[in-house]
Amino acid sequence: MTMVITIGFLIPIPQIDILEESARNLFLHVPMWFTMMVAFSMAFYYSIRYLNNEEMDWDRKAETATAIGLLFGICGLLTGSLWARFTWGTWWTFAEPRMNLSALAMMIFVAYFVLRSAFNDPVKRAKISAVYNIFGVTTIPFLLYIIPRQLPSLHPGAEGNPAFSEITAPELRYIFYPAIIGFIGLSIWLMDITNRYKRIKDLNEQRL
Amino acid sequence: MTNRIIQEPADTTVDTLTNSYSDSWQALEGIEQSSAFIQMMASNDLIFVVLGVSLIIWFILLFFIIKVDRNISEIEKSLEEKHS
Repeated sequence: MTMVITIGFLIPIPQIDILEESARNLFLHVPMWFTMMVAFSMAFYYSIRYLNNEEMDWDRKAETATAIGLLFGICGLLTGSLWARFTWGTWWTFAEPRMNLSALAMMIFVAYFVLRSAFNDPVKRAKISAVYNIFGVTTIPFLLYIIPRQLPSLHPGAEGNPAFSEITAPELRYIFYPAIIGFIGLSIWLMDITNRYKRIKDLNEQRL
Repeated sequence: MTNRIIQEPADTTVDTLTNSYSDSWQALEGIEQSSAFIQMMASNDLIFVVLGVSLIIWFILLFFIIKVDRNISEIEKSLEEKHS
């Protein structure tokens, strides 16, 4: 990760009008969304596992994965907003479908935590939030991939996969792919730490 | 500062964005009237935007780690109370 950040600032990149040096944001902004997708798919998987086999362990893992996904999603949204200010000229625009729909997706997952906090009974909470999470994650591909591609947009990748298309210069890819792997690794590590402390917390409470 | 958004007529069928928004999307136009912060960010080929983006990510992750740290100290305290 450190290498990625350092080299990401250092290598010369092809100059593109409008973007100029901010094209380096590709190494930071785009992996956020990749990581978010991975975290939400993990949450989806854990929620299904929970409904299949009702152990609190799966619920804990699903909650953590959703939290991490939300964290990276908010990172992606804020960095996208900052980037947009200097390339599109505005912090936020309601004409850009991808921006608004990703904000909507974040709201869905904020609602997941609101829903969780509404129950006192852990079993009930785990069940209902698992069902909600399965529905929530299913909307993500629609909100982030399908609808934005049907609408005119300034965001790159409106007509295909932005990350793997030919627009991305080969020099950028040497850093871009390790950056994705690095951020996903970081998110999995954070999830692991969070899961461990939650487990210790539960064990501690049981012994009281 | 001559760069501005040039919206190519999109390959897609309808291009409603150009007509309604190209006036307000001239990113660096009128930068002289904006605040000192915006002007600083727009200098040096927008490299400060990259810095800003990395700082946002860093602080959000730091916030999360600090939160985990606090929770761990709470558990630690309650464990110590039990053992004493």
